[in-house]
Amino acid sequence: MDVIMPQLGETVTEGTVTVWHKKVGDKIKADELLFEVGTDKVETEIPAAVAGTLTEILVAEGETVDVGVTLAVIDDGKETSAPAPVAAAAPSAAPTQKKPSKPAMAKPTHAAPISPVVARLLTEHNLNAADITGTGRDGRIKKKDVLAHIGGAAPIVDGDAEVVPFTYTRKLTAEHMVRSKATSPHVLQAVEVDFLAVDIARRSIKDNWKAEQGFSLTYLPFIGNAVCEAIADFPRVNASVVGEALHIHKKINLAIAVDLGDEGLVVPVIRDADELSVPDLAKAINEIAAKARDGKLSGDDFTGATYTLSNNGSTGTFITAPIINQPQVAILSTDGVRKKPVVIEGDNGDEIVIRPVGVLAQSFDHRAIDGAYSGAFLGRVRQILEETDWAAELG
Amino acid sequence: MENDDIGEEKRLELYRLQLECRYMEKRAYDLFLQNLVKGTSHLGLGQEAVAAGFGAAMHSDDYTFCTYRGHNHTLVRGSSMTGILGELMGRECGLLHGKGGSMHLTSAEHGAMGSYAIIGAHIPIAAGAAWSAQYRGTDQVSVCFFGDGTTNIGAFHEGINMAAVWKLPVVFVCENNLYMEYTPIEEVIPVEHPAADRASAYGLEKIIIDGNDADEVYRTAEVAFAKARAGEGPSLIEAKTYRHSGHSRADPADYRPDGELEEWLKRDPIDMYRGRLAEFGIAEKVISKLESDAIAIVDQATEEAKASPTPSLDAIETNLWADGGSSWRN
Amino acid sequence: MAELAYRDAVAEAIAQEMERDESVVFLGEDVAEAGGVFKTTVGLLDKFGPTRVRNTPIAEQAILGAAMGAAMTGLKPIAEIMFSDFLAVCWDIVVNEIAKARYMTDGQFNMPLVIRTANGGGSRFGSQHSQSVENWAMAVPGLKVVAPSTPADVKGLLAAAIRDPDPVIFFEQKSLYATKGEVPDGELVDELGKAKVLRKGDDVTIVALAAMVPRAMAAADRLQQEDGVSATVVDVRSLVPLDTQTIFKEVEHTGRLVTVEENPRLCGWGAEISSIVAEEMFYDLDGPIIRITSPHCPIPSADDLEDQYLPTPERIVETIRREVD
Repeated sequence: MDVIMPQLGETVTEGTVTVWHKKVGDKIKADELLFEVGTDKVETEIPAAVAGTLTEILVAEGETVDVGVTLAVIDDGKETSAPAPVAAAAPSAAPTQKKPSKPAMAKPTHAAPISPVVARLLTEHNLNAADITGTGRDGRIKKKDVLAHIGGAAPIVDGDAEVVPFTYTRKLTAEHMVRSKATSPHVLQAVEVDFLAVDIARRSIKDNWKAEQGFSLTYLPFIGNAVCEAIADFPRVNASVVGEALHIHKKINLAIAVDLGDEGLVVPVIRDADELSVPDLAKAINEIAAKARDGKLSGDDFTGATYTLSNNGSTGTFITAPIINQPQVAILSTDGVRKKPVVIEGDNGDEIVIRPVGVLAQSFDHRAIDGAYSGAFLGRVRQILEETDWAAELG
Repeated sequence: MENDDIGEEKRLELYRLQLECRYMEKRAYDLFLQNLVKGTSHLGLGQEAVAAGFGAAMHSDDYTFCTYRGHNHTLVRGSSMTGILGELMGRECGLLHGKGGSMHLTSAEHGAMGSYAIIGAHIPIAAGAAWSAQYRGTDQVSVCFFGDGTTNIGAFHEGINMAAVWKLPVVFVCENNLYMEYTPIEEVIPVEHPAADRASAYGLEKIIIDGNDADEVYRTAEVAFAKARAGEGPSLIEAKTYRHSGHSRADPADYRPDGELEEWLKRDPIDMYRGRLAEFGIAEKVISKLESDAIAIVDQATEEAKASPTPSLDAIETNLWADGGSSWRN
Repeated sequence: MAELAYRDAVAEAIAQEMERDESVVFLGEDVAEAGGVFKTTVGLLDKFGPTRVRNTPIAEQAILGAAMGAAMTGLKPIAEIMFSDFLAVCWDIVVNEIAKARYMTDGQFNMPLVIRTANGGGSRFGSQHSQSVENWAMAVPGLKVVAPSTPADVKGLLAAAIRDPDPVIFFEQKSLYATKGEVPDGELVDELGKAKVLRKGDDVTIVALAAMVPRAMAAADRLQQEDGVSATVVDVRSLVPLDTQTIFKEVEHTGRLVTVEENPRLCGWGAEISSIVAEEMFYDLDGPIIRITSPHCPIPSADDLEDQYLPTPERIVETIRREVD
């Protein structure tokens, strides 16, 4: 074992070997006096911790070394020094309790000082301080003044209107939407999808599913499944713009927009959605939607999303232009599926049949990708939905 | 030679406890020379008989409170030696999972209700545990160990006073090892016996014993415990002993007069007890086996502790509150 | 509902909890026959007897040490420290022992105790019997800190503190002992860590604690009548755990924060709240955060000196007039 320079006092950082009481080759008994150490505070005799033979002296009398340096080696017949203690697991990041960061402040152009909230509002609404009349002391612009200029919600009750203050979730939603539009140049593209193949599979197990699971099997898990598969061929829709680079995510963590009514939108995440089968994806969607409505989502449920699905179809809409969930680069809206006449081209001419048809509309960030890429992705999603043997997928 | 009121089984236990304390503390010293034991360590080398004598007399549901020189007192309650050495080395397996260190060894499940680093603070706390036993109507006793230097601090007076007035089942044990940290005790006390000469101020008996004789300690403990369990109130016991090493790590104790250590080493409690076992007819090989068993236990505990990882950083903000967290806000 | 004095609410809360839980015990100086020097514990000895309601010697370290030992071994003690200034006498037990026992042992000890103490000035007792020291306690990790302003809050928060598994220091404000308020009948248990909005306005949010709460309310009335300034008043009630969300919500609405603290200037509880708001609500502030505190001196004893030392409603009104536009 290694004999090291001990730390002989809480503030001591080095020591001097003053006397060796044994020489190389000597046999040593445990607790026998081995050497003496001098520090700036004390002179101390150090006994040998083990019995054995002194095989090496590495630091001579009179030499000063740092605490922990090996001074000598005793062969005690055992393996060399114990392995260093295993380092602890990496710490988990503490969740921050702060509000989302705000954009840079506008330069003050007015004589009286601009307060932080006024600066923020001016920036957010692209206003100039010079355009606002200040009613504060010495003509200072107050928060009220900016809000009045915008025509924003006055805090005082207006006799003619019912004032409904934003809930915390509504406020977060509002901020995020404004910021998203300001960040990404949105382009909308859509495809019409024939859901016959999905529908046949869906109807065949519909009643059993409802009875066993307690909720209905909708189109959404099929669409989610198709999207994950299409992302494999068109990974750039599953990405983020960071500075002047596109970060293409390896994982597919699907966020599902859940409407909480007047309270606003929350967008919880299903991790590794590509690893889930359609039934499992259906259950995962149902679970987080229920958690969202019960207010039981936690911090982890909101992080790490790479692509978002926004399901508007339950209200029967034709098409929706959704707002991108930052920092993603694309979002897909699924709208109403209705029976429509469609033309099927055949070898013997065209015929009109009745099919369940729905529009899938993707808003994409034109900094990241272009129309051809997005269009091709949507085409692939449609192809998967229309051509997959869904009955086999459902097992 | 007196009749053997203590009995062979208890004698062997007393010897075993002293051996484990001695070898464990020596190992702790070796480990600190290897820079494996961190911070500061106050060793009880030479004072094993007090811890062992009281430990062997206690019931498992009694409470003990000791000072930062408390490795032995914690061990004799049955606490894990791996846990003690692990805590000294700052490992996950430590009794306190690396959160407290050498001066705060605790094993509440064994009744070892903490080692206290502020001189005297645990005296009223020990009284409080005794109050709790009195209130709940159990026959538990609270035992409080401290040094000669403690007898001068305010909490000593307040705690013993209240225990005497409320007749609490607490036994106060002063281990007079002749030194208040680096200062000879007679320089800071106006009377000869730091604890025993103050006992009458609280209406308590003056009790002075040889703290290096485990049998004497054991018998004294039994008497004090019986008194406490019978509802007759506290005792203050001064046990004269000596520490072989310095106050804390690397204190070579140069303040000791020449020859004093050598004189006391002649009265090493373990050597004396070894002789006593022989006098009572215990076979040499039984004694030797106890010694080699104790060393083996220390070796095993050392290896287990060394193999334990350092604690996860997640532990930093846990267990401030009963809910396991440390949150102070919403 | 019944009208109850602040001091009587203390006894009612203790009685409520002692009736329901046999492990609750109470100790302090002159608390038994005398019912406490401030008459806060009258009747408890008669109801619960001398083994549960105990007089102690004048020995603060012994009082809190005994409470800690009892809390570690299955009881739920309430310990009275007669004047909060005396916490300095036994501060070791509070901060080195009680606050740290669970953490240092990584959870081996329970510490379900309450230290209740008479805090604050206004009674001409002089500087060693008049301090407000809740900020000392707020600064130590491991202590929960509560300071009610009304009889209903006294009863509800003291009951919650007694039921809380962690150590709670309960600061009763001496100058409020005689005040009266409505207290609901029957069992009352409030929640630690919840501030109360007592008054809603649009121009400034006043955050106050204990005896400063009624003064903030009086100032808010005058500001409304005389200046047309409408103020929100928040009673913090609990410093640890701290209800930051209520404070944030109210500051976001008005854009201005003013604290009213009985502590001397440096490191009063309001400094911490101001710091948190400045950090997390910076972009919602329409002007600097203002703290109204006692000056950084001990408390003088003569009538006018003491009265003007503590933040008065006049000083609150003038400060807000000057600083909030």
